[in-house]
Amino acid sequence: MLAIQNLKVSFGDKEVLKGVDLQVNKGDVVTFIGPSGTGKTTILKCVNYLVEPDEGHMQLADISVDFKKIHKKEILQLRRNTAMVFQQFNLFKNKTVVENVMDAQIAVQKKSKKEAYERSIDLLEKVGLLEKKDEYPSRLSGGQQQRVSIARALAVEPDVVLFDEPTSSLDPELVAEVLKVIERVAQTGVTILLVTHEMDFARKVSNKIVFMEKGHIVEQGSPEEIFEQSQNERTRQFLKHYYPEAIELMAVHS
Amino acid sequence: MLNMEILVDNFFGILTVVPQTVALAITIFILSILIGTGMALVQEYNVPVLKQVVMLFKLFLRGTPLIVFIFIMYYSLPSIIGYFTELMNLDYNASNISPVVILIVAVSLTVSSFQAETIRGSFLSVSYGQIEAARSLGYTPFQAFKRIVTPQALVEALPEFGSAFLVVMKAISLGFMITVVDIFAEARLIAASNSYYVEAFVVAALMYWGVAALVVKLTGKYESYLVSRT
Repeated sequence: MLAIQNLKVSFGDKEVLKGVDLQVNKGDVVTFIGPSGTGKTTILKCVNYLVEPDEGHMQLADISVDFKKIHKKEILQLRRNTAMVFQQFNLFKNKTVVENVMDAQIAVQKKSKKEAYERSIDLLEKVGLLEKKDEYPSRLSGGQQQRVSIARALAVEPDVVLFDEPTSSLDPELVAEVLKVIERVAQTGVTILLVTHEMDFARKVSNKIVFMEKGHIVEQGSPEEIFEQSQNERTRQFLKHYYPEAIELMAVHS
Repeated sequence: MLNMEILVDNFFGILTVVPQTVALAITIFILSILIGTGMALVQEYNVPVLKQVVMLFKLFLRGTPLIVFIFIMYYSLPSIIGYFTELMNLDYNASNISPVVILIVAVSLTVSSFQAETIRGSFLSVSYGQIEAARSLGYTPFQAFKRIVTPQALVEALPEFGSAFLVVMKAISLGFMITVVDIFAEARLIAASNSYYVEAFVVAALMYWGVAALVVKLTGKYESYLVSRT
């Protein structure tokens, strides 16, 4: 479904990704964990080419690209088969909630207004914001904005949804409502790449955890393999700081 | 004291040129926005060569007094146009070119160099995150520009556009130097004919104020309409 080989990215002379390989199957929920500044978000942004990699190959469904010589057409193709949910929501401020969800369907997918509207209403109902459909984003709480942005992402029926720290800029009491929506999205069987610091949530929804550090993938595996049975010293160090519960789980296993 | 009878007479006399002055101002204003947007885009998208040309052009225009530039255009535009029409074998006598056209070209170019800055600033006011979001959904740059950036930038630029229009209105009075008749020029002509100078210019000032009040009111209304939609 999604295969990445030897992905390398640098910003200026700082190497952010130093040759990453990744394999994702259809319906996978893959969560990237690791310290800040290790390239988790960068991987996601390479998939839709918001970040320009130095080199690497990627296969997404039937699109195959060599990042060294990517064409404009291929970039649009990648973007039209993926969708992203951003840390800062990034809703279009000049459009109402329902227009935010409709716009790409009309502009990019060339659907009729009616068709786009119906799908948008349907999605807004699923994220529990139907009654806010005619509000402008500035009138919504962060959690509500993020749920709208999830609906906007799902509206274009992407092969892969990229969640980039979707709860990191939310007030603590708003995190749960967003996670609940993401969990429901995960259950629909859509392929998800997720960057998060919510370890409990990652453990619950993912079927694959990728631990990254300093631009490398250190270890990847099922939630049990990473959170309960990891033998890797660096993974254990990280979990000790960010998810002490894992250490208890590991103690049980050993 | 002011002669009331002359004032009333002048009022109706000068009122006749208000429509054409406003029409001229609107033409120049729209042209300056179009050219200014072009310059802003060239700078924003870092178009090689053109960018350097625009920077030089802006420096030159913003540093030259408008009256100087009007005269430069007045004496050189006909031969510049003549050169091109000859090059393209067109049968057009450029020396007959109307001073109104020359005024439009000179003022539009000068004001556009200021508009470019306003417009650039208003583009930059749209958060980069929204542009990223549009890209991530597969919008072409033009689609993102038209559907997301421009509507928001417009709200930002509107107050500035209001003042720019008034600057244009007043700048047109320099057209008198190359025989274009506007509010100010008409006032001078009337004053010269009856020697009531103060009356004529008081009425001219009233006309400018009237237009200014109207513009301020309209932009204010439109702005609050746009703000209610964000």
